[in-house]
Amino acid sequence: MKNLKPLNEKAERVKRAAAEDKMDEVRAMQTIVAGCAATLDPGWEVDPFGGVAALCQPMEADLYGCSDPCWWPAQVPDTINSYPDWNANADGAAKDWRALGTVFPKDSDV
Amino acid sequence: MRIPTMMAAAALAVSAFIAPASAEDGGAELLVRLCGDCHSGKADSLSRIDGQRKTPEGWLMTIVRMRLFHNVDVTTDEQQKLVRYLSDTQGLAPAEAAGYRYILEREPGVVEDFDQQMTEFCARCHSGARVALQRRTEEEWALHIDFHLGQWPTTEYQALGRDREWYKLAMTEIVPQLAEAYPFETAAWTAWTAARKPDARGEWIFITRLPGIGETYGRFTVSGEAQPYTVIGSVVGQNGVWTPMQGKLHVYTGYEWRGSVNIGGESFKQVLAMSADGSVTSGRQFFTAEDALGGRFTAARVGGRPIALGVVPSTVAAGRQARVQVVGTNVRLSSIGGAVTPVNAGYNQYGVDLTVNTTARANGLVRVVGDGWNTTFGVYSALDSIKVEPPFNIARVGGGGGRTDKVKAMFQAVGYLAGPDGRSGTADDIRIGEVPARWSVEPFDEVADELEDVRYAGAIDGATGIFTPAVAGPNPERPFSTNNAGNLRIVATTGGTSGSGQLIVTVQRWNDPPIR
Repeated sequence: MKNLKPLNEKAERVKRAAAEDKMDEVRAMQTIVAGCAATLDPGWEVDPFGGVAALCQPMEADLYGCSDPCWWPAQVPDTINSYPDWNANADGAAKDWRALGTVFPKDSDV
Repeated sequence: MRIPTMMAAAALAVSAFIAPASAEDGGAELLVRLCGDCHSGKADSLSRIDGQRKTPEGWLMTIVRMRLFHNVDVTTDEQQKLVRYLSDTQGLAPAEAAGYRYILEREPGVVEDFDQQMTEFCARCHSGARVALQRRTEEEWALHIDFHLGQWPTTEYQALGRDREWYKLAMTEIVPQLAEAYPFETAAWTAWTAARKPDARGEWIFITRLPGIGETYGRFTVSGEAQPYTVIGSVVGQNGVWTPMQGKLHVYTGYEWRGSVNIGGESFKQVLAMSADGSVTSGRQFFTAEDALGGRFTAARVGGRPIALGVVPSTVAAGRQARVQVVGTNVRLSSIGGAVTPVNAGYNQYGVDLTVNTTARANGLVRVVGDGWNTTFGVYSALDSIKVEPPFNIARVGGGGGRTDKVKAMFQAVGYLAGPDGRSGTADDIRIGEVPARWSVEPFDEVADELEDVRYAGAIDGATGIFTPAVAGPNPERPFSTNNAGNLRIVATTGGTSGSGQLIVTVQRWNDPPIR
């Protein structure tokens, strides 16, 4: 770790964990959710341990990383092809999430 | 007394079947007018469309996709007519839809069990049932995969896509597998298109469970010259209070019952399937605005064969006199067997109004028997175990000024006796039925405890077992402003016995079509 300098809060915590011999408690995201995948196991709803603690949370921090490259298209409207304007009025999901609408029209039922 | 068999058969023959009416409302012409600019061919063989069969919800989703993605100009009325025409002429036979109705019924907490190949290629993003409720030619299944790759092009470089020759495998292995499992031409569909279709119109007696209220029963009439039919009736609660019920009913494909009813000011949706002989219709009824909250709904046709739907309440505490309603049609009582002494039995418009005495230590099932029918209810003094149903469920954060509502979760406590072997959790356990319980929430595991999920994720109503999740959005009070998600143990306690289930409180979804 001596050649690495933490740049954000999470990295700082990793450094502290290493110093306190608590690296077993550190969960690197890329090894847990396998780099994020359009998959229900782990899924949008549940993490690979059957809980929610290892989901990408807060979900809003990474939401446009899902909608822009079409990850989780069954839950999150993809802005590649299907709903290009879905987040047009919400530049930052963490503060603008209230402006994001659902995409299946309410007037349509059998 | 019983209604003579001949009379019942005659009543069925007169009222329970209708002639199929598919193309008479101009559906074929409408299909060509609205879809024929892009899809080539004639009304009964428009390209792409002519190689597919789907449920009403499946066709609706296709039409909505054409509206949203391809700017097809369709009015709500035209959309309704197209769904009807396509569902009637290219729907699924009852047997083809039977195993996957949970997704149409929006039953929460269902854990699917598809094979690994199907799960990896299809059911990673949406339910496997969404696939299994379609029938296509082999060419159509191949085009369907091409469509997926064109519409969602990152499929190939996501997990389980980038690590193998995804497209080649999809075409050489998945397409033949789907074409064999879910083929366009089937004996079931050929037989169903030729079969007489049941008529929903008439008198029905039903039994259901209303969220937050409990077991109820009632009676309604379906009438009208054309669809949507009119539904008028009433619901009776365990306290005897009578609530009006009224609404509209569409029947697709000759059996797919889609009702919209108002009960005491609340709007409900019914997703049911009529039996081929028109004697029973069953499925799930749920709040239109909150489909996670609902209950099984079963109705029997009045005037048909004797059918018992169940007993309300389905369980009674021992040691007192109990009055229960045996709900059914044409039910004439022969005998009652079990841990009760009959006091009085009278017939009413819902079945049998039954009063029994129970001893203080009565425990077990009471068997209520008539000519050609039987049903049970439970009597209990000391339960050996409690199971929470469903054992696994999902709620979603919502509200908080956002446009996705909270998705609640509903649980029931079911009492069991240990059975002859005296041990709970074995195959001979006796299911007594739903029992009143006090509800509470605990962390599911150590991580949930550490993250204080119980504090943040929401709260359960101690009496009804309905869990209301917390608000959506990042929560600055939680580590890294994480959402109000949580992994909870839902505990039901009655007497000295308790049982538990698991509830995942998770994030919202913005893409929420009728088939998930």
